[in-house]
Amino acid sequence: MAAAARKHGSLDDDGGEEKEAGAVLHGDVLELTLSHVPLVDLVPAARVSRSWSLAVSSSLRHLRRPRPWLLVHYQSPRPPHAVSSRAYDPRSRVWMDLEAGPGAAAAKLLASAPLRSSHSALLYGVSPARLSFSPDPLHLTWRHASPPSAWRVDPAVALVGSRLVVAGGACDFENDPLSVEVYDTRAGTWSACDPMPAPLKDSSASLWLSVAADGRRMYVMEKLTGATHVFDPEAGAWFGPYDLRPDRDVFYSIIGFSGDRLVMAGLLGNSEDLKGVKLWGSMTVEADGLEEICDMPEELVKELRDDNCCVSSIGMCLSGDFLYLYSNSKPELVFWCEREVESGAWRWGPRATQRREAGAWARGWRTPAPKSGSGSCGRRRRPGTGGSW
Amino acid sequence: MATSRKVTLLSSDGESFEVEQSVAVESITIKDSIEEGSAGNPIPVPKVNSKILAKVIEYCKKHVESAKAEDRVDDEDLVAWDADFVKVDQATLFDLIRAANFLNIKSLLDLTCQTVADMIKGKTPEEKRKTFTIRNDFTPEEEEEVRRENQWAFE
Repeated sequence: MAAAARKHGSLDDDGGEEKEAGAVLHGDVLELTLSHVPLVDLVPAARVSRSWSLAVSSSLRHLRRPRPWLLVHYQSPRPPHAVSSRAYDPRSRVWMDLEAGPGAAAAKLLASAPLRSSHSALLYGVSPARLSFSPDPLHLTWRHASPPSAWRVDPAVALVGSRLVVAGGACDFENDPLSVEVYDTRAGTWSACDPMPAPLKDSSASLWLSVAADGRRMYVMEKLTGATHVFDPEAGAWFGPYDLRPDRDVFYSIIGFSGDRLVMAGLLGNSEDLKGVKLWGSMTVEADGLEEICDMPEELVKELRDDNCCVSSIGMCLSGDFLYLYSNSKPELVFWCEREVESGAWRWGPRATQRREAGAWARGWRTPAPKSGSGSCGRRRRPGTGGSW
Repeated sequence: MATSRKVTLLSSDGESFEVEQSVAVESITIKDSIEEGSAGNPIPVPKVNSKILAKVIEYCKKHVESAKAEDRVDDEDLVAWDADFVKVDQATLFDLIRAANFLNIKSLLDLTCQTVADMIKGKTPEEKRKTFTIRNDFTPEEEEEVRRENQWAFE
């Protein structure tokens, strides 16, 4: 008979001593079991003994590897604008409360500035007193700078390489509502650049604009029209607009970066009658349109729609080959999609729901980037903090 | 091979079990062998002894019958049945995991692994060592290093 044992686990040669070996949790049985244990519980598991420590590493590497967590921050609208945080781990499908996490530090630092996140792992707050931002995945370190010279409310902010771009925003009193300033995080200085294109005037970024950044440029897409403008902070110039929507049926779209690939998520139909959600991708924005990546499965679209619920906007967080999608009207519902490295195909996971919290909803969402430490899984090292494996 | 309604499985210790083919093919390993035509009759199942094979067959039978039943209420009964099914000693449980892995029966593998995973999570390392009778073979220096690396989880 063809012995179809899984190739990663070769059974220990405990042939004749099956009876004794059966009572001991080790080898492939241990690794299989550990793949069902939530990530946070693997830390004490790795402390049990050497063989368990190796089994944890092996299980994480071969059986069920860690995936980016989604961090959700809730900021109360009432002073002192306390921030609390939760995290979702798609590997173990659990939500966790982060008690002594970045939230507490963020609240103190930001005072009354609303906490926002425009893309990937960047969290920031802009107030007349200062600009505070944190690009690291768990937001344990915050940087502060003098505020931009123009007072803005909800500008488009992006970290492009070592430059933080602050553009536009809605403000009735400012003479130059389209002004763009770039903060050089290494030199600690501000410089002014070409103003934003006129169509982006008076746009509150979090409401109307979708911001994304790769290492060189900032991309700003108008969510309702799909018109995309690109800003290069090194040249200090704007390019575009580009029309990225290949499908006329898209009424709302947002962008993000998966590695070097620009990804666009679009809602099809109209807000009262959502027909579907689609993903497109491209390695370059100048090319003719984007290529289709995949559709959200119908059963997930149904949950998003949820009879009589108007789906007028969605948000997206990307980290490497992983994507989170959520509805702004139902933020307790989260969907995720992952790109399989071997086949390149994107696959949707089951939805993740969390209990609705009383009080203010999230102002900033983003994902940590775990892949920075993925090399450490193979060595004899246990999972460290959320961002380091 | 002709698709007969019943197949015979032979455990590693020589005992035969006659089962419906629909039950036997819950195991992808057995299903593949039958389809490839490379299985003899009886089908030998090495590494799985009669005690464990009997339990595996019991599990597969129950789940195949349940799938045929039209009443959705049976889902809760099935969950309760599964919970009872895994109330066995550790040695049997680990053998079941091995067998489910070898025979490639996903639902049984998930069930048994989850049962043991539930025993693992939420315990301190010392409690885990006690539950599974494991000797701590870390040197004090290694143990200190692990503790320092993972300080955040122990607050």
